Amino acid sequence: MSKAKKILLDPIFNDNPIARQILGICSALAVTSKLETSIVMALAVIFVVSFSNLAVSLIRNHIPTSIRILVEMTIIASLVIIADQFIKAFAFDISKQLSVYVGLIITNCIIMGRAEAFALKNPPLTSFLDGIGNGLGYSFVLLSVGFVRELLGSGKLLGMVVLKSTTEGGWYLPNGLLVLPASAFLLIGFLIWIIRTWKPEQVEEE
Amino acid sequence: MSEDSTRKTLAVALGVCLVCSILVSTAAVSLSKIQKENRKRDKFKNILQAADLYSKDIDISATYREFIRPRIIELETGETVDPSMSDLLNVETFDIRAVAMDNELGTRVPADKDAAQIKRKPRFMAIYPVVKQGQTQKTILPVYGKGLWSTMYGFLALNRDLKTIDGFTFYEHGETPGLGGEVDNSQWKAQWQGKAAFDDQGRVVIEVIKGQVDSSAPGAEHKVDGLSGATITTRGVDQLVRFWLGENGYGPYLDKLREEMADEQS
Amino acid sequence: MKLLRRVLDKQAQLFDKGGKLERLHPLYEALDTFLYTSGRVTTHASHVRDGLDLKRMMMTVVVALIPAVLMALYNTGLQANLVLAELGRTEILGWRGAILSFLGVGVTPESILANVLHGALYFFPVYLITLAAGGFWEVLFASVRRHQVAEGFLVTSLLFPLILPPDIPWWQVVVGISFGVVIGKEVFGGVGMNVLNPALTARVFLFFAYPAQISGDKVWVAVDGVSRATPLAELADPLLDLSVSYWDAFLGFIPGSMGETSTLACLIGAAVLILTGVGSWRIMLATVLGMATTALLMNVAGSSSNPLFQVTPLQHLVLGGFAFGTVFMATDPVSAAVTDAGKWIYGWLIGVLAVMIRVINPAFPEGVMLAILFMNVFAPIIDRIFIQRNIKRRLVRNVGR
Repeated sequence: MSKAKKILLDPIFNDNPIARQILGICSALAVTSKLETSIVMALAVIFVVSFSNLAVSLIRNHIPTSIRILVEMTIIASLVIIADQFIKAFAFDISKQLSVYVGLIITNCIIMGRAEAFALKNPPLTSFLDGIGNGLGYSFVLLSVGFVRELLGSGKLLGMVVLKSTTEGGWYLPNGLLVLPASAFLLIGFLIWIIRTWKPEQVEEE
Repeated sequence: MSEDSTRKTLAVALGVCLVCSILVSTAAVSLSKIQKENRKRDKFKNILQAADLYSKDIDISATYREFIRPRIIELETGETVDPSMSDLLNVETFDIRAVAMDNELGTRVPADKDAAQIKRKPRFMAIYPVVKQGQTQKTILPVYGKGLWSTMYGFLALNRDLKTIDGFTFYEHGETPGLGGEVDNSQWKAQWQGKAAFDDQGRVVIEVIKGQVDSSAPGAEHKVDGLSGATITTRGVDQLVRFWLGENGYGPYLDKLREEMADEQS
Repeated sequence: MKLLRRVLDKQAQLFDKGGKLERLHPLYEALDTFLYTSGRVTTHASHVRDGLDLKRMMMTVVVALIPAVLMALYNTGLQANLVLAELGRTEILGWRGAILSFLGVGVTPESILANVLHGALYFFPVYLITLAAGGFWEVLFASVRRHQVAEGFLVTSLLFPLILPPDIPWWQVVVGISFGVVIGKEVFGGVGMNVLNPALTARVFLFFAYPAQISGDKVWVAVDGVSRATPLAELADPLLDLSVSYWDAFLGFIPGSMGETSTLACLIGAAVLILTGVGSWRIMLATVLGMATTALLMNVAGSSSNPLFQVTPLQHLVLGGFAFGTVFMATDPVSAAVTDAGKWIYGWLIGVLAVMIRVINPAFPEGVMLAILFMNVFAPIIDRIFIQRNIKRRLVRNVGR
């Protein structure tokens, strides 16, 4: 596997930011009750993490160490505000459901973590790829969780009825636990279980 | 010039801030018009849904302008007022919370009368009559009150006979999914249609009861099923509807309309 | 009996290492040791913290549960038959009706036999389904991980039906116990490693997954389409009066989950557990004390809008699942605290939290199971604090010498 490909694809299964590093689970809990919000959130994070990596990497040789974190924070915050403005303009219904969580991407450890750990030491293009890769890894978890929660929690996918619920005259009794944010913890746990059974080298030594 | 000199630090900080602020303000300014339009459309959509005029493929703004004749009324007197007295009283951007919190335009609800547990209410309200062929078909009245966890905001559609409820929707609430959250449920909402809100003397009789309504029992026409497993949300809905239809809510305005109606008939 | 032994022995090689059905060894082993005493006892102190072997301990719990099970059979039938009598019906439809009429017993609430049989037709299907579904996961995990099926499941599978309402849909029983066994126990590594009580985990899963039906303010009576408010829900509602007498609540002749209505049955169970040393009297006493102090505080504080503030400690004791949870759930040796001082804190906080959830949280009338699960999570931390303190104390003593 070429280096670029590895940088891009590794964060999806081999070094997933949520499943392996357990970063950024706050938003994974908050926005995944529906698939639609998960998708929009995932896109926003891919955008922010890749461009923040790119920007930080571009000026990495000029950032004074004393204000390093501040500079990164400013860049990330600006990107998040831009993403938020776009979502409010072009996906208003979803922005209402996401409420503050788009803004809270600023505090998502994945983004700061990639800027600190990768973009400061690598050239722009690789950093950009790393950002996209980590964004995809985050998206993979978000979409999996969102898929299960919307399907079993409300019997729908992307708002379309798949399992007709009893309250609407169907047969499926929606599972209320999956509507609660805490259920994402369980699902992420399951996902980590599956990934580590498939790739046992990820299991930490005690 | 070394990496960490004060001048370099300031220069980088300034540069980053400048670039970022230009990007952010460009995005914010250029998109603000669309966002404003979105907020308006969203409000229109909620109103059209309460009026039973909404479907996926209509032009929301056009339909709204065709059928809805919004106006601002003063709750205490029931008089229609001139919205130009304050910026907050614009019918299209009317924000209940902002008006209620305003010193001039809002007022405190005394605790003993505060059935809906809202603490403050606006003195003026935007209401949305639905007019077809020159005739008012129904009136959409914004209502709100406390449920179990959250304040629930909704629209109540009152038929032109000023007695019957034509529809009821909540557009914002934070009740427990599956329990109180079922105020969103279309089947539950559907049973409000056709229920009598007032008796012949104009007293509020609608009530949300605990459990199921026995449709054969007397009084079933003004009773609505409670939500199973959600005692407090059910009570909240019951109280807020009665509050807003009563003398502290739209009572004076509705009385006025009734008088007008009686005058026309005689 | 000899024949059975011989049959079992003959099959043994099939399941031994290298045998054809090696993977299914746990299933064979479970059957064998269920029928006969195990040839082996635990050799080192893994999860047994006294001289008893785990199997004996679990059997003691099962014995202690017998009064509760009998009450479950009788009261489930009684509540159903009372409602039927109220409705003026003398027979029921479906397969239960067919069996009852085949046996020639009716559905009159006056006949003990009719009540017990009617109750049994609700309890045993749920119990068998629990055994089958939970057993499936037990065997599956045991096969994959190559360990033995643990006896603990016998207790879990008996506890679970007792804390369910009688008319619970069977598929919910399957989903619930599957979740309880897998998440409550197996993900932590199986028996002895679990942080949470599996039966309670299963129940709480159903509680949050299908809240409209079993969040605790209403309970199904075993008659189609009839549900009754539980006494706790009646107390919570200022418009309702309590419809049961204190004595009925103590004996357990009230609607509720199948096995947890009778405080008396729980007291008998408590006596068995304490006398045999299987259940900790410290935890039980501490839980009751925690409940009593909190309830008294609430009584004193009072509230104009929340009638639950006025519920006395004695009422808390007999209503809902408090007694059952205190005796059988809080004392589960695996998920409870193990240090003596830790047990006092652990139990006391369960009592405090249970009353706080019952009284102050407006959404859930019942709080005992949530309180126990919550403290399950904290039990290891409580233990750690006391063990560390002990170590420090001894260190100081040694240094001083």
